[in-house]
Amino acid sequence: MTAARLIINEIKGYHRFLKFLMVLVGLGALASLVRFIFGLGVTTNLNDTYPWGLWVSFDVVTAVPLAAGAFTLGAITHCFHIKKLEPLVRPAIVTGFLGYSLVSVGLLLDLGQPQRCWHTMVFWNPHSPMFEVSMCIMAYTTVLFLEFLSPVCEKLGYYLPLRVLRTLEMPLVVAAAAISTLHQSSLGTFFLIAVDKLHSLWYNPLLPLLFWISAIFSGLSIIILEATMTHKWLGQEDESELLETLARIIPWVIGVYILVKAYALFFLSEGPFFDRPRMLVLFGIEVLAGVFVPFFMFMQKKVRNNNRLRAIAAGLVIFGLVVNRFNVSMYGMIHEGAPYVPSLLETLVTIGIIAAEILFFVLIAKYFPIFEHHPETVDYSLPDKFRKVEKHGSVAAGA
Amino acid sequence: MTNHWIDLKNADAILAIGCNPAENHPISFKWIEAALDNGGKLIAVDPRFTRTASKADIYAQIRPGTDIAFLGGLINYALAHNLIHQEYVREYTNATFIVNDKFDFEQGMFCGFDDTEKSYDLKMLAYELDGAGNPKQDRSMQHPRSVFQLLKKHFSRYDVDTVCSITGTKKEDYTNVAKTFCGTGRPDKAGTILYAMGITQSTHGTQNVRAISLLQMLLGNIGIAGGGINALRGESNVQGSTDYGLLFHILPGYLKSPEFDNVDLKGYLEKWTPKTQDKKSANWWGNTPKYTVSLLKAWYGDNATKDNDFCYSYLPKRSGNYSYMKLIEKMGKGEVEGLVCMGMNPAMGGPDSTSARDALGKLKWLVTVDLWETETSIFWKRPGVDPKKIDTEVFMLPAASSVEKEGSIANSGRWTQWRYKAAEPVGESRSDMHIIHEFFTRVKDLYKKEGGTFPEPLTKLAWNYGTGHEPDVHQVAKEINGYFTKDMTIKDKDKTLEFKAGDQVPMFKYLQDDGSTVSGCWIYCGSYTKEGNQMARRDASDPTGLGLFPKWSWCWPVNRRIIYNRASVNPDGVPFNPKRALIAWDGLEKKWKGDVPDGPWPPMKDDKEGKYPFIMLAEGHARLYGLDLKDGPFPEHYEPVESPAKNLLSPVQNNPVVKLPKNVSSDLGKFPYIGTTYRVTEHWQAGAMTRNLPWLVELVPDMFVELSETLAKEKGIVKGDKVRITTVRGTIEATALVTARLKPFIVGGKQIEQVGMPWHFGYAGLAKGDSGNVLTPSVGCANTSIPEFKAFLCNIEKGGKRS
Amino acid sequence: MSGDIKDFNKTGAFLIDMTKCTGCRGCQVACKQWNQLKAENTTFFNGEGYQNPPAMSEYTFTRIKFRDYQKNGQNEFAFYKEMCMHCNDPACASVCPVGAFKKTAEGPVIYDTKRCIGCRFCMVACPFGVPKYEWSKAFPLVKKCTGCYSRIKNGHKPACATACPSAITYGPRAEMLKEAERRIAARPDRYLKKIYGKEEAGGTSVIYLTALPFDELGFKPVTKRPLPSYTWQALRLVPGIFLTVGGSLSLLSWFTHRKDRLKKEEEQRTQSRKHSDQNQEKTE
Ligand SMILES: Nc1nc2c(c(=O)[nH]1)N[C@H]1C(S)=C(S)[C@@H](COP(=O)(O)OP(=O)(O)OC[C@H]3O[C@@H](n4cnc5c(=O)[nH]c(N)nc54)[C@H](O)[C@@H]3O)O[C@H]1N2
Ligand SMILES: Nc1nc2c(c(=O)[nH]1)N[C@H]1C(S)=C(S)[C@@H](COP(=O)(O)OP(=O)(O)OC[C@H]3O[C@@H](n4cnc5c(=O)[nH]c(N)nc54)[C@H](O)[C@@H]3O)O[C@H]1N2
Ligand code: SF4
Ligand code: SF4
Ligand code: SF4
Ligand code: SF4
Ligand code: SF4
Ligand SMILES: [Mo]
Repeated sequence: MTAARLIINEIKGYHRFLKFLMVLVGLGALASLVRFIFGLGVTTNLNDTYPWGLWVSFDVVTAVPLAAGAFTLGAITHCFHIKKLEPLVRPAIVTGFLGYSLVSVGLLLDLGQPQRCWHTMVFWNPHSPMFEVSMCIMAYTTVLFLEFLSPVCEKLGYYLPLRVLRTLEMPLVVAAAAISTLHQSSLGTFFLIAVDKLHSLWYNPLLPLLFWISAIFSGLSIIILEATMTHKWLGQEDESELLETLARIIPWVIGVYILVKAYALFFLSEGPFFDRPRMLVLFGIEVLAGVFVPFFMFMQKKVRNNNRLRAIAAGLVIFGLVVNRFNVSMYGMIHEGAPYVPSLLETLVTIGIIAAEILFFVLIAKYFPIFEHHPETVDYSLPDKFRKVEKHGSVAAGA
Repeated sequence: MTNHWIDLKNADAILAIGCNPAENHPISFKWIEAALDNGGKLIAVDPRFTRTASKADIYAQIRPGTDIAFLGGLINYALAHNLIHQEYVREYTNATFIVNDKFDFEQGMFCGFDDTEKSYDLKMLAYELDGAGNPKQDRSMQHPRSVFQLLKKHFSRYDVDTVCSITGTKKEDYTNVAKTFCGTGRPDKAGTILYAMGITQSTHGTQNVRAISLLQMLLGNIGIAGGGINALRGESNVQGSTDYGLLFHILPGYLKSPEFDNVDLKGYLEKWTPKTQDKKSANWWGNTPKYTVSLLKAWYGDNATKDNDFCYSYLPKRSGNYSYMKLIEKMGKGEVEGLVCMGMNPAMGGPDSTSARDALGKLKWLVTVDLWETETSIFWKRPGVDPKKIDTEVFMLPAASSVEKEGSIANSGRWTQWRYKAAEPVGESRSDMHIIHEFFTRVKDLYKKEGGTFPEPLTKLAWNYGTGHEPDVHQVAKEINGYFTKDMTIKDKDKTLEFKAGDQVPMFKYLQDDGSTVSGCWIYCGSYTKEGNQMARRDASDPTGLGLFPKWSWCWPVNRRIIYNRASVNPDGVPFNPKRALIAWDGLEKKWKGDVPDGPWPPMKDDKEGKYPFIMLAEGHARLYGLDLKDGPFPEHYEPVESPAKNLLSPVQNNPVVKLPKNVSSDLGKFPYIGTTYRVTEHWQAGAMTRNLPWLVELVPDMFVELSETLAKEKGIVKGDKVRITTVRGTIEATALVTARLKPFIVGGKQIEQVGMPWHFGYAGLAKGDSGNVLTPSVGCANTSIPEFKAFLCNIEKGGKRS
Repeated sequence: MSGDIKDFNKTGAFLIDMTKCTGCRGCQVACKQWNQLKAENTTFFNGEGYQNPPAMSEYTFTRIKFRDYQKNGQNEFAFYKEMCMHCNDPACASVCPVGAFKKTAEGPVIYDTKRCIGCRFCMVACPFGVPKYEWSKAFPLVKKCTGCYSRIKNGHKPACATACPSAITYGPRAEMLKEAERRIAARPDRYLKKIYGKEEAGGTSVIYLTALPFDELGFKPVTKRPLPSYTWQALRLVPGIFLTVGGSLSLLSWFTHRKDRLKKEEEQRTQSRKHSDQNQEKTE
């Protein structure tokens, strides 16, 4: 049997859902092809009034905070040394790595001159938040890649690199947090330039801070949702206890967010809030459904301890974040002319990217030891003179 | 233009009537704006609120075809409010002249009208002469038959109320215009009137212009800086083309084209050389023989001798009207064999295009010389016709554009500028001169070879333009200026001038009637002299500060930038307005300072040598009372041929000397709206020049029609709808532009809607659309035959052609 | 970024006096001609009056906007030239990640096609909606009014300013401002007492005079502060934040892991002791 046969046979054995995802990814890939042949004008509904649409709003502005679980959890677990959260870290890193990789894919599609993406590294413009973000994203994807290499090396039994990686683990976690802080907030800085364009319900100088804070609690919420789902669908271990811990952290962060947002809104915003009913509705949805409701839900022990409710609250947070990011990057921009609705091809690409994210996550989970990484089995000490690492039982089990 | 473009900046009031300079003469606004910056006022009188109106201090709406009423009202206002420039009127116009006692004006008609011929007996309208043969005068202007009194009486009927109920103008707008413009009747104020097609394209177009002149004379506005009557000429070199005799009734330099009864040169000169007994009258046209002979010498060279009447007999003698419309009429009857269309697009440009296009099909052959494939060159495959049924053989000769050849161009202000070739002609195209040259040599060769009836007019032509395929444009220009054919000594006052054969003539006063000078166009004499090509001068110095720029290009006549400038000073030669002194007599040096004066003579007061300022008229005085117009000495309001209104001033509905064609209709039941045509900045004329340029097509891509909000509402038309416009002559389709800039008129208490459209679209080129000229009537001005494009009756309906 | 230009008095500026604009659109065509831009495929008029094309675009760097309306029973027919404002401190330049936009000392804000990655941030950032995109191309670039930099460099005026019969004056910014003030003072009845572009977006190299209120003509209300300052107030904190977050987290983990480390060292020590003990035992 050839390798191709092997792969095909392997795929044949996949769950129907995975196959469906593969189709979606395929469609997305085809749609991307259209973009590279016929250009953005044909592929998307973007135009000079709406230079940024679904791809920027979702694939970048929203996907980045959704991938924030990695840095938050990493920081919480390692820096605050809450060791028991360790089992959640690797999946978060994988999600993060996948998220960022796909952000890059989205970006490459969206850029007019993707072949020149390296220009940011050569032609520096430190005044540009996008320069900053792209540097950060590149750096951070590298960091995530390195972090993600650990399970890969474990799986393949490359002990030497593993040792190096372990040495780097702490610095990487710290770097990840710092870099993330910068670019998560800088995504907000993007829109500080949109003076007189972004509606005053969203425009205020604290936008970067708000973006950062919301990235933190959304990142954590994504972990809750993800773990709940992997438990349910992939039959992974039930981590509810850990998730409860996370759920206890989240309302604090949301609380800070609410305070900062209220301050920004009431003391720093200029201009009218009530001039456009449509904006008000969008704002209401974002704040009520996405912030206050989950806030009060997470405050309750009942919710925190209930898998379903906890997941629902986390889902609401994520929904709120999506709405928020779309509000800031799209709906809240005061545009004249016909409203923008993403084209079919545009939507297919985004769906493809989301599908790819889920697909790859499942596949990685299937082939790499990302859930088996438990704190008690890890040796965080500096590697002692490249001596052969003992084979942990769990690793063996994963193989 | 009596004045010139830059001079507009000197005006205190600018009355733009029947023209839209912002759109059709955009550069003029540089100077109009300068006038406004100096505190001048801009008045726009137009049926529509145009881009010019948007810049105006006062906008007055006027119903198409009622300009005489409007201007007559201003004349009356100036007279009634005594705003006229008394001294100017008395000294420089024929206001003091006395008209013969047969003169009569009754019920809208002057005396001496022959109803079958549709013409006036001009003798009955002449001056009363004294014993010496000079017109009698009454310096007090009180004589009941003095021009002044007749004028006053004539225009007293044009009171503001009557005028406004004819023109549909709002009364307060009208009085505002009257106050502002008539306020320039003071010596220290200057008012200019700009006009163009809204004035001329009318069955009484010439009288419209007359009304403008009358007003300006009364206000003392002619001959002064910032004044004048200024026709904003159209095609970029249309001034040049009329100077060179483009029209059927004139030869180069505005000499008359010979009529059938001018059998020999003597007879011709007799008929066309005006005479006067008044020593103070310069009567410049008295030089007609010199200019005529010099012209014949230019044409027939050495073949033209005194003995053979300078080949006068070779000139065609006309017996009637060869105007455009008559020509097309004849063509339609199959009376014309062939047509050469050089830079003209008759399938589009003339009125009643459908007939014109049909007429082209009656030709045996048609040659178009153009930059583009035009509607005319593809008339045989226009929509709706079967090419198989048209036998006309069509030749298209590609012409080089203006930037691909060297030569002169005369602008409205008579400034003639030399231009250079900027690029080689594209492809096979050739300059018009080249094409004419080829025509000439080949036809001449054919005549020589095959003979024919009366070949001499062609074979005897002098053609001294070099040896190349293309005539040497400098040779042409030099011939136009003129040169001596033999050595000459000329005494001029205290100087004696020596000239050699072949020397350029320095100015037209040295032209001779004995064959010793050649000049292709006497008014251009001085444009290309010993000192070189004056038209190529580019010295931007402005010694007077009035913007005369005497050393920039060259201006006919004799580089005089403002004509009749002797009227800008009082009879002693002192400027009426010292602040804007155009010329002034220096008593010590005994010469004029400033612009080139209208003749070197001392001021009018000088008993021995003084001359009246209006040197082109035999009587030397500007004519408030006109002597040679087909439709009477004073402008009188008549309705356009197709009009929704009864003439409120007299029972005579239309200009009585205009013969009406069959396909006109004032049936208000079928055609209840006034139609008018005009231009937009973005397109040029018949459209070939612009509808072939994507950058301009982008700006105005479709044939459109403007209509008022009220009419649109009544008809259920919204902006962008396809509509049909119909006249008795045809139907076209256009896109509706509903705008508040067009408003209905209240005429005699009734509300009358107007519909306006450009006439730039046709079936050739990149942007296609119907032509407004499918709708326009083939009827023209009594004096000039210019078609009445600006006022007709039509209907408008929602829905495209096929709806 | 215009960081290196401090004095904008000498930069070239357009004084566009709309009271003198006749809407002839000579500027619009001259711009296309000079920049060799394609004609757009238009139908009828898009917008009021004779307005066309519908908007500025990759093919149209400047456009005359028409206003055709009535005010107090009077017709208003007004024209307004849209183009790049050549801001003193341009938002487009500040956000461009690769510094493709640059404010030149001569005045124009120019664009380096070779740098651009096509992210369209400049389009989002520009307060006047000026940069446009080549939507029709597979690998598009941004397009906008060049300020006719190539002409300026050679001592010519911009193409539009050259073509304009009446409304556009081009010269050093300070002089243009002075001229604008002179005009307002000379004819206060004619002008609205405001110079648009004097302070808008921190000052621009295109300044306007009008008779009608700016909002009636469709001018965008724009902040007086240079736009880049809005982002810079956050961006300037970047190095600080990086160091603070990085530093404090490092410290934190150093502390939190201290106990572990100590324990481990202890363990190791005991273990090695055990080891030697064992060894000893073995030898024994
Ligand atoms: N862009 C552009 N410029 C041109 C031309 C062109 O085709 N395009 N053509 C050139 C040529 S050849 C010429 S002759 C000139 C013509 O220049 P204009 O005479 O200015 O041209 P029009 O637009 O035909 O007419 C002028 C105005 O007269 C108004 N009008 C119509 N009827 C009447 C009336 O009865 N009384 C009065 N007072 N006004 C009336 C019309 O509404 C119009 O606004 O333009 C020249 N310049
Ligand atoms: N309804 C209506 N009709 C009108 C008018 C109106 O106001 N309303 N106005 C009238 C007026 S004022 C005029 S002047 C006429 C104009 O009517 P036309 O003179 O028939 O119209 P143009 O389009 O100017 O035609 C000039 C042609 O010359 C060509 N051409 C340009 N340069 C050169 C060159 O160097 N050599 C040669 N050989 N050809 C060249 C152009 O391509 C164009 O086809 O239309 C009249 N028709
Ligand atoms: S088109 Fe030519 S002639 Fe007419 S205004 Fe413009 S520059 Fe002058
Ligand atoms: S107007 Fe816009 S594109 Fe032009 S310089 Fe200013 S920010 Fe840049
Ligand atoms: S599209 Fe090009 S010019 Fe605009 S911000 Fe992005 S890289 Fe810079
Ligand atoms: S400055 Fe140049 S590029 Fe800009 S609008 Fe004017 S002509 Fe066009
Ligand atoms: S060229 Fe000048 S007058 Fe004409 S539209 Fe442009 S700005 Fe206005
Ligand atoms: Mo004309």
